[in-house]
Amino acid sequence: MGEEYVKMTPPAAHTIWSAVVNGQMKQAIAPSNAILLDVLRDEVGMLGVKRGCDLGTCGCCAVLIDGEPRLSCLCLAGQVQGQNITTVEGLAEGAHLAPIQTCFATHGGSQCGFCTPGFLMSAEALLTVNKNPSRNEISCAIEGNLCRCTGYQQIIDSIEAAAAIKRGEAPALAPASNPHPNPHPMGPEEPSMPPGHAR
Amino acid sequence: MAGGYRQQPGASSGETRKDGKRVAGKQKFPPPGSGGSRPNMGPRDLDSIPESVGGKEPQPAGSHIHDRYRTGTEVGKPRALVDSYAKVTGQAWYGDDVRLQNEIIGKILRSPYHYAKIKSIDTSKVEALPGVLAVATGADAPNTFGVLPVTKDEHAMAVEKVRHVGDLVACVAAVDEATAMEALNLFEIEWEVLDPVFDPRKGLEDQDEPIHWRGKYHVGTTNVQKRVFQEFGDRSLVADPTASSHGKWRMEGVHHGFTEPHAVVAHWDPNGRLQLYTPQQVPHYAHRALSTVLEVPMHQINVIRTFVGGGFGGKSDPFPHEMCAAILSRKAGRPVRITFSREEVYWINRGRHPSYIEVKMTADDEARISGFDIDALIDGGGFASFGHVTSYYNGVLATAPYELGSFHYTGARVWTNKPASGAMRGHGAVNTRCAVEVGLDEMAEQMQVDPIDLRLANLLPPHSRTISGFRITSNGMRQALERVREGSDWDKKFRQLPLGKGIGIGCGFFISGSGLPIHWDPNRFPHATVHIQIDMDGGVTVHTGAADIGQGSTTAVAQVVSEVLALPIEMIHVRSHESDTSPVDLGSYSSRVTFMNANAAIRAALDIREKLLNAAWEMLGYHPDVLVLNDRRIYYKHDPAVGVSYLEALHKAQEDKGSLISSGAYRSPPMGGVHKGAAAGLAPAYSFSAYVAEVDVDVETGLVSCTNVWAAHDCGKALNPLAVEGQIIGSCHMGLGQVLSEKMVYGRTGHLQNPNLLEYKIPSVHEMPHVTPIIIESSDPEGPFGAKEAGEGPLLPILPAVVNAVYDAIGVRIRTLPLSMDVVWKAISSKTRSLGGIEATELPSPRLEHSLLQQTLVERGTQHRERDRRRQRSEDTSAYVNGVLFGFDPDQPLEDQVEGWKSAVEPVPEQLAELGLAGKAWLKKEQRQMGGDK
Ligand code: FES
Ligand code: FES
Repeated sequence: MGEEYVKMTPPAAHTIWSAVVNGQMKQAIAPSNAILLDVLRDEVGMLGVKRGCDLGTCGCCAVLIDGEPRLSCLCLAGQVQGQNITTVEGLAEGAHLAPIQTCFATHGGSQCGFCTPGFLMSAEALLTVNKNPSRNEISCAIEGNLCRCTGYQQIIDSIEAAAAIKRGEAPALAPASNPHPNPHPMGPEEPSMPPGHAR
Repeated sequence: MAGGYRQQPGASSGETRKDGKRVAGKQKFPPPGSGGSRPNMGPRDLDSIPESVGGKEPQPAGSHIHDRYRTGTEVGKPRALVDSYAKVTGQAWYGDDVRLQNEIIGKILRSPYHYAKIKSIDTSKVEALPGVLAVATGADAPNTFGVLPVTKDEHAMAVEKVRHVGDLVACVAAVDEATAMEALNLFEIEWEVLDPVFDPRKGLEDQDEPIHWRGKYHVGTTNVQKRVFQEFGDRSLVADPTASSHGKWRMEGVHHGFTEPHAVVAHWDPNGRLQLYTPQQVPHYAHRALSTVLEVPMHQINVIRTFVGGGFGGKSDPFPHEMCAAILSRKAGRPVRITFSREEVYWINRGRHPSYIEVKMTADDEARISGFDIDALIDGGGFASFGHVTSYYNGVLATAPYELGSFHYTGARVWTNKPASGAMRGHGAVNTRCAVEVGLDEMAEQMQVDPIDLRLANLLPPHSRTISGFRITSNGMRQALERVREGSDWDKKFRQLPLGKGIGIGCGFFISGSGLPIHWDPNRFPHATVHIQIDMDGGVTVHTGAADIGQGSTTAVAQVVSEVLALPIEMIHVRSHESDTSPVDLGSYSSRVTFMNANAAIRAALDIREKLLNAAWEMLGYHPDVLVLNDRRIYYKHDPAVGVSYLEALHKAQEDKGSLISSGAYRSPPMGGVHKGAAAGLAPAYSFSAYVAEVDVDVETGLVSCTNVWAAHDCGKALNPLAVEGQIIGSCHMGLGQVLSEKMVYGRTGHLQNPNLLEYKIPSVHEMPHVTPIIIESSDPEGPFGAKEAGEGPLLPILPAVVNAVYDAIGVRIRTLPLSMDVVWKAISSKTRSLGGIEATELPSPRLEHSLLQQTLVERGTQHRERDRRRQRSEDTSAYVNGVLFGFDPDQPLEDQVEGWKSAVEPVPEQLAELGLAGKAWLKKEQRQMGGDK
């Protein structure tokens, strides 16, 4: 060592980047060669987009660009200038979780949860175009996502269950801690009597 | 926000002033809440209350001491993990998601050499680079650390020498990542390159410059880090075997492959305390190590465990980069964040040891397993890590579930100039288990018996003792075997499938918690402690140090508290992230959390339960024995209308103290033998599993794909069946990776060639077979509500099941893992060549013609089935030790009954010549025996 070093990152001019992230116009000043994943995490603050490898091999960083699933670590921010980006933070409607989110919780689709945002985006993209996917179709939709915890089986179960809810064949599930349709349950009341007993 | 948000329910609605404003001070405040959105008490769930206490839950394995505390609230019900909503909304905060005000970025300079001395480091150019705020080298932190107190051989950064490519040399912190990366190029280092060792077999030889030096305990001048010898039983039984198997295995190293790369944030707060955020499985050991390295008392450090994006053992060592972040942050006076790239994850490694394993087994004329010899040479890489324990586990965790006539184990772990191996799911037991189960399959073939019947007739019963003195309590091995046999339609498929299709069986045995806490004497300090605190609002806060790494330990703790107190799980809040608030805990390793922490939580909850019941007694006049706890209400057993609500009882109980607080602890009972190393592998309970796998082998290309797995695991009692099934399927996935595709490839130059997820092949969704999880509940007498582990044990059987299935498919036994296409194809073509150059498609499929022994086995199996049932249900409480099958009396010391019954932990000189590969480590003397430490 000691000889002249080569700069690892060639300097690039900073430009103003803007796009609609989860329905909201966002702007950032970033180098023109910035990677979308970096901009989303570090500049826009969408920390739900996970970085598992930076090489397009794990799928944790998947986001929807105009509804299409894309790996944000393989995407220059400049490429999606002005487009609609959805991250895991944008899946819920207001305080109501999307069916795919509740199903991942209730069907064991998420263990450590690090891969979950990526799977949710791939699954959501599938369910918008295919209301009634077979297990094989689901597998094909998530083949770019890696999960080390679940062995995929319960992820597929979760996606099937969400599809059924979306088709209206199953009732929407309420997360235990946050019952729908009212996302903020009224303050609790005293349970005093067993049902059927008057005091 | 639909419906709006009302802060005080039922309050003040009608009471407005004439001008429409609310009347100040007049609102009614009902007692603060206890019911979530369900105002009425739910009915008692009799289906989840055991038979022994009047419910309807069947108990084939007998009653359990915790049955009386079952309220039917949570235990045994499939539940979403309590933190899963944070995960599906992207709000779970993992290591790299911790962003502190004013943070700067740290980067690590890694060694480009396998083995080299650092003669000098000049950091002046680095320091001069604008934007660099702190630089640190090994000189800043000379103290050593390591996960095991006996082998502290790591530094924050290399002191004197580097031991593998990727070893930490120095680190820098700068205003942004680009500047930090640039700074890494400016270090000026003078190296003296040394001769590296890559092959563990070479590590057994004397070196000029051993990788570490252990002083007077160093074995010669070799790289042997640990050597083990164990011999038990009657060696004379080995003579004249009816069947024997001798297998030499080569297993590659595998990595955990968790999806979250390591990351750490360190921050010295304005009071001078270190706040360290890290995704750790074992925050407490990191805490200890930080204290040693930074020379700061432990109470001045707060270790905050972030969400952990998968651990599997790979995040259980205290890591040097955690020290680096703390050092940099201390120097710079700003929070420092270090995040690993995927490549760096492989450099820190701690994955499964690459191993050379030799297994010799013999069976006698009654198909009893008379001889059982294991020799395991494991490649530890550059540091000790958990290796001391791994060296034992490779042998001792093979001593069950079968009854053995004799057991002989030699193991050695050597240092090499590769990234360190460590603990990984199924720690130390996986590779030998595979070798052993395949050996059994081979012996069954020689004896022409069914391998499942061979196993069924050789199992240790519940409440017995293994040959090396482990105490087995509940044991569901037999049911597991029977269930997979039935589920997979084994009797119609085994040895009857066409060429290229195969079915195989494998079993597993694993510890449920390690009997010895690493850092202290279990008699003086408990394994686990849990605190519970309930304030006036009725919400329950549980403090535990159990590290949830995705397996659901937080959920398990919340569930048991919820069960005992009969409160909905939404009312239980588990706080487990911070060392400041959680009681000391050993963390998530050796599958201890459910067993130990849930047990401690039950004890803490029982204390609260008693206080509530006493309060209700005072209010109702009925003794606690006739009171029932059910969904936020305590009532008289014979008239549910006579009762008080949970809150009323709580407030009564709180009258003189304010908030209710309790603490519960778990410690393991005294157990185990007295020989050296007797503590390794000791556990308060053991899990058992049996898998059947079905494979397709393409005989022309060697491609193996697993299509179906029936996976039965005895977890004692499934507290949360959804999570247990998730663990079983996930374990299958990980084990399949190891047996079919995963390996860390070290090239001819010893360089790791695949440090990324593209070339390190973790099975994708398409490689995953359909797994049918089967939960066996043997109700462990000491487990929380009967539960045992389900996180690691389920990984073991999948490897041998697949290897045996491949044999069933093509009639070739392969003893090199992974069974990648090239390996299988080579094995097939050497077989076709040996058969006179036939086509691969003409290979004969193995077939089975039962011999007379089969009948003996079936009969013995049936007898043992009854024996096991009686022992499991405590109808038979006589002593049972390994050896009874061979006709010994369990009530007499075996040494007195058999001349030459062995119990040795060092080889006698005559044995030295015949020891296997790892046994060669015993040919050298320790420095102290040679009179010095050089
Ligand atoms: S981070 Fe983008 S695929 Fe792994
Ligand atoms: S849940 Fe952990 S990687 Fe998928």
